[in-house]
Amino acid sequence: ASLTRSGGAGGLAQWVLVELQGEVEPRQSGELAGSLLGDLHYTHEGIPVLIVGHHILYGKVVQLEKPFAVLVKRGAGEPSPTGPHTCYTVTALIKTKLLFKTRPKPIITNVPKKV
Amino acid sequence: GAMRSRAEVDATLRTAKLNPAELLPVAHCLSFGPQAGAGECCLLQLEPGLCAELEAGRSLVIRGEKDEQAVLCSKDKTYDMKIADTSNMLLFIPGCKTPEQLKADQASCNVIHSQIAGFSNNYWELRRCRPKLKKLRKLLMEDPYEGPDSRKDQTLTFSKYTTEDLLSLIQASEEEILHQLQVIDACKIEGFWRILEFDYEMKLLNHVTQLIDSESWSLSKVPLRTCLEELGSLEPREMIEHTLLSYGRKYIDDAGEVYFEMHEDKICRAIAQMLLQNAVKFNLSEFHEVWQQSVPEGMTTRLDQLKGLALVDKSSRPETIFLLKVEDLPEDNQERFNSLFSIREKWTEEDITPYIQDLCAEKQTVGALLTKYARSSMQNGVKVYNSRRPIS
Repeated sequence: ASLTRSGGAGGLAQWVLVELQGEVEPRQSGELAGSLLGDLHYTHEGIPVLIVGHHILYGKVVQLEKPFAVLVKRGAGEPSPTGPHTCYTVTALIKTKLLFKTRPKPIITNVPKKV
Repeated sequence: GAMRSRAEVDATLRTAKLNPAELLPVAHCLSFGPQAGAGECCLLQLEPGLCAELEAGRSLVIRGEKDEQAVLCSKDKTYDMKIADTSNMLLFIPGCKTPEQLKADQASCNVIHSQIAGFSNNYWELRRCRPKLKKLRKLLMEDPYEGPDSRKDQTLTFSKYTTEDLLSLIQASEEEILHQLQVIDACKIEGFWRILEFDYEMKLLNHVTQLIDSESWSLSKVPLRTCLEELGSLEPREMIEHTLLSYGRKYIDDAGEVYFEMHEDKICRAIAQMLLQNAVKFNLSEFHEVWQQSVPEGMTTRLDQLKGLALVDKSSRPETIFLLKVEDLPEDNQERFNSLFSIREKWTEEDITPYIQDLCAEKQTVGALLTKYARSSMQNGVKVYNSRRPIS
């Protein structure tokens, strides 16, 4: 299989990794696609703050010692006698992660607020 | 669906009792993109140097047949691939900015809608490994080249490999493969990489050494032009030149003439192989005599020329010598040691080193390998190594 670069001229896209404890589950059972995760803010000191559902998560920005490449698989599930024909495209590099390790603080709402 | 507005973001901040004054003015609304759950994205952790290679526009390749463990190859290095699990969830987000980027950016918008491209709780981990090159020799030995007079070549066409074929079949980087082809004296004939059949190779070498002898040339100044003129009627010119390149060092003198400085050690070694492969073992002193008589005038045979090719049995009376080629032994570390200990129970470091040297990883020593795979003891005042486990 080959890992080819996408996006010929110009640099590879830089993405960011967000690391959370636990599992990601959609609020409504049903598709994940399109559903909201939450709002991401940064304090003036650069601390990331993530509001997910009824929780506030505080994290930190980490420069990765070993960056990641994001691979997108193409042509999956093609059996071949001469070897794997799966093609992976390197779509982006990740050099930074937002690590949320602290216990989430629950947001207590008594009265639902109207926007 | 409708995207969140700044007003909605502010309302959430109020509900969360967060003070907007303590936060940067720009917020990200993170949602899952359309393909986020499809699992088509995965993460590959990059070893030093690989990130720079990707940024420079070079590709990486994953190689491995169904029965092989996949490896990743850059232009010149090979890495084992392993899945590492994390207990956390990793989300990968395009277009998500860091605080530094936001502060530097004078954009006027105050909500960035970022779509999560995918998520995972594992990633591929890489570890630099030795290129898996034993298969290269195995493939080329399927159909060794026996010379232009051999009728074999006209019929067999499936066991021949081009550079591209080798790149897709061998779990190693291109540079490592090309280097190994040079090390094993492979040559390209009609676009295919070939190894010479040993008898044919010796026949060619013999032509060259006999010519050197009859012309009384110095072993360090063998002229290419004359070799081709004198031997060109006996063998293809490419084969004569290939023999000189395999067994000598090419140089050009001030007049622009091409010469070869012959490798005495390599020639003596090849002749030893020729003698040894026709017997199970040789009486050592008889072998010394025959061997010295068989090499070209002016060359001196020495046992240390045979490291990794032959082994002396000092315990037999009389002492004997037999063929043991390191390239015939298993590639895997544990299997190699098992094989060596089944041939001989106890080894000195001096004897075993040529048979394990190639197993050393980057910066690993033979001593480290012995510590890991063998047990040492003293025998007659000499340190010897034997197997850590009983050999069946």
